[in-house]
Amino acid sequence: MSRRMQIVLASFCFCWLFVSTAAAQSGGELRFSIQSEPKTFDPMLADDDSSETIRYLTGGFLIRLNRQTQTLEPELATSWKVSNGGQTISFELRRNVVFSDGTPFSADDVAYTMRTLMDPNLHSPTADPFRSVEGQVKIDVKSPTAIVLQFPGPVANLEELFDSVAIVSAKSPHRDVAGLGPFVVAEHKAGSSIVLRRNPNYWKRDAAGKPLPYLDAVHLDIQQNRDLEMLRFRRGEIQLINTIAPDAFDRLAADMRSAAHDAGPSFDTEQMWFNQVASAPIPDYKKAWFRSQNFRRAVSQAINRADMCRIAFAGHAQPAAGMISPANHFWFNAKLRPEETDVPGALKRLADDGFHLDKDVLRDRDGHAVEFSIITNAGNKVRERLAVMMQDDLARIGIRLNVVTLDFPSLIDRISHSFNYEACLLGLVNVDLDPSTQMNVWLSSASNHQWNPEEKTPATPWEVEIDRLMHAQASTTDNKQRKEYFDRVQEIVADQAPFIYLVNKNALSAVSPTVRNAAPVVLRPQTYWNIDSLYLAAPDPSGRHGE
Amino acid sequence: MWIRALPKHFLRLALTIMLGGLLGATLVRLAPGFGVDERELDTRLNTQSIELLRQSHASQRNILGYYRGYLAGLFRGDLGVSTSLDRPVAELFAERLPVTLHSVGIGVAAGWLLGFLLALPAALFRWKAYEIFTAGLSGLFLSLPAAILGLGLVYAGGPASLAIALVVFPRVLQYARNILVQSAALPHVLAAHARGLHRTRVLLWHVLPNAAPLLFALAGISVSMAFGAAIPIEAICDYPGIGQLTWQAALSRDLPVLVNVTLLITVITLAANSLSDLASSAFVRQRI
Repeated sequence: MSRRMQIVLASFCFCWLFVSTAAAQSGGELRFSIQSEPKTFDPMLADDDSSETIRYLTGGFLIRLNRQTQTLEPELATSWKVSNGGQTISFELRRNVVFSDGTPFSADDVAYTMRTLMDPNLHSPTADPFRSVEGQVKIDVKSPTAIVLQFPGPVANLEELFDSVAIVSAKSPHRDVAGLGPFVVAEHKAGSSIVLRRNPNYWKRDAAGKPLPYLDAVHLDIQQNRDLEMLRFRRGEIQLINTIAPDAFDRLAADMRSAAHDAGPSFDTEQMWFNQVASAPIPDYKKAWFRSQNFRRAVSQAINRADMCRIAFAGHAQPAAGMISPANHFWFNAKLRPEETDVPGALKRLADDGFHLDKDVLRDRDGHAVEFSIITNAGNKVRERLAVMMQDDLARIGIRLNVVTLDFPSLIDRISHSFNYEACLLGLVNVDLDPSTQMNVWLSSASNHQWNPEEKTPATPWEVEIDRLMHAQASTTDNKQRKEYFDRVQEIVADQAPFIYLVNKNALSAVSPTVRNAAPVVLRPQTYWNIDSLYLAAPDPSGRHGE
Repeated sequence: MWIRALPKHFLRLALTIMLGGLLGATLVRLAPGFGVDERELDTRLNTQSIELLRQSHASQRNILGYYRGYLAGLFRGDLGVSTSLDRPVAELFAERLPVTLHSVGIGVAAGWLLGFLLALPAALFRWKAYEIFTAGLSGLFLSLPAAILGLGLVYAGGPASLAIALVVFPRVLQYARNILVQSAALPHVLAAHARGLHRTRVLLWHVLPNAAPLLFALAGISVSMAFGAAIPIEAICDYPGIGQLTWQAALSRDLPVLVNVTLLITVITLAANSLSDLASSAFVRQRI
């Protein structure tokens, strides 16, 4: 082949590649499933996964948490400053931004959004973290691009909370649908699907100046059946799955290695706890066991977390050291280590509390055989497997464990209303980096202080200390100082074991090889956090995600 | 004569429907986990918000009071508001009922067509091998739960109505075959055969008219059977009908939706049975 011919051919190939890439980046409809019908399309009232997905895809935010770097990035606010001990935040806003219906965006919209959000009659779940003390938020619109918000008390982690506040228009006649996000809701078939179309007025552009998002539309199928979701992914009918069970993940990885993504330990924890509620309808001698630090730590030491990771999670989990996952780079206390399995150590701790083994049966000092039941939610195969493994582990120290699975409403009724249970195995889904959103777990007066909710006064000295530290970390803006306080909380929890942390499961997801720029992460939404820059490659002629 | 009995008939229907609704509401109210909300475990919510969530179900705790209020609303055309989806139940029904009616309608029709067509030769010809075949076929499909059929359809990529048809057809086949066989063995039918009448004429003029009242009754039952099957099938296939709504409502103890679904299914069952009764008696009168 002559040199000229080679140049012509190379130029042709380059042009074809450029044109095809540009064309692919300009369009396509991304399809994936949400597990239920969104309870609301109002971004201020979103508190279920599906509504939050809609808010993420359609909302415009002042500040965004980059799910990959775990740092805050400017969006509609070009800069911000927190002052007055975490009580005040001032924003400088982006100019020349318009809502999807063409209405200009200004500080008045931010003022309207915050005023509506903080209205106590709205009962917005997004507003709760802003309410550190009673009182009104003072809003001062300095100019169309500058606004100052002053809260009645210091708000821990103030700027990160704006990652959940989607700005709504104060003036648009189509306020319900006008948004500042990459997509707008175009169609909703109840119980079936939601179609989001590209926002033609979206303000963001890529490095080359090309308007974002690349995708034309996002098609959300309402699909509760996870097996069906996987089947449809394999058939190429959907392109993303945010979370996959470990066994399904391995099957997918075996067939379509490039589609299966394990992003490492997630923020979520699996834990068990004992019921320490004074009024619980369980025998007093069992309450005494559950209140004993030695008993709780002995149970923790008897559990083989490595086996749980290996068997129940097929290797896609890590033994948990505590309430914060190592995936949370800043807030994790690196001094903590997962509890090692130590059966002799567990028996020694039990002996210190007067327990003794009687022909392989553990008895307390009054001769009661140690036996308790653990409740968990039915239908979660992995959790059921964990419970069965715990049965075996505890049998080694003479404890008989009975596993009871309940449907979710019955389980919540037991752990939050009737307190008619002995121990519970459940997971905690952590969606925020900052521990201030866990105030409702760690304060002894809180309703999600599961082992003993809504205590009038802290029942133990260590809970007094946790209360003090949590209040202290919430009332300062110095993150180094906050980290010290929260590290101490993590150490107390590890020592006292009110929650016995078992594992941090890995963030497992599936992304079709046809989706470009995807980089699954551990933070939600794992697969489409960078929805702006996702696009679809030309479809496989076979219609399947082949390898 | 039968027109005079209509008011009494309607009164009995209305009472049955109201009692059915009350029974449904009571069962939901007594179910463990009633009045709790999954959002109570959301760590971002503060104590006041959680308390508010708990209070939101307070009006439903007294079941008689709730049901009285519900019936008062029902007479005004207000079916209440779903607690899990936070939308008017009437709106949810308007969106989903046509989907279910469509799949149940096609399912019942296809199930009857298949079942009846397979039952006819069994009654007409009494071939032993064919009888074994139909008995085996209906037995096989009768032993398969509706949810399994739904799952099979999901994997095969078929519509939900086909799964409903597969639930209806074995029952139709089995009962219709028995009814037709009994009818075909009546003395006057045997006499007709002996006189050399054509099989088709015997079937249309002697066998089917005798079997008709029982077949009408079977038709009424198959409608309620199809609605019962639609719940697991729609839930498994993620089909956006009343069945899927019912399943989700049951999981979240959504009393307003479940009471209305109970009433709806009671009405449909009673209406189908009443229609089959009316059709049957009208047919019998015509023959007399």
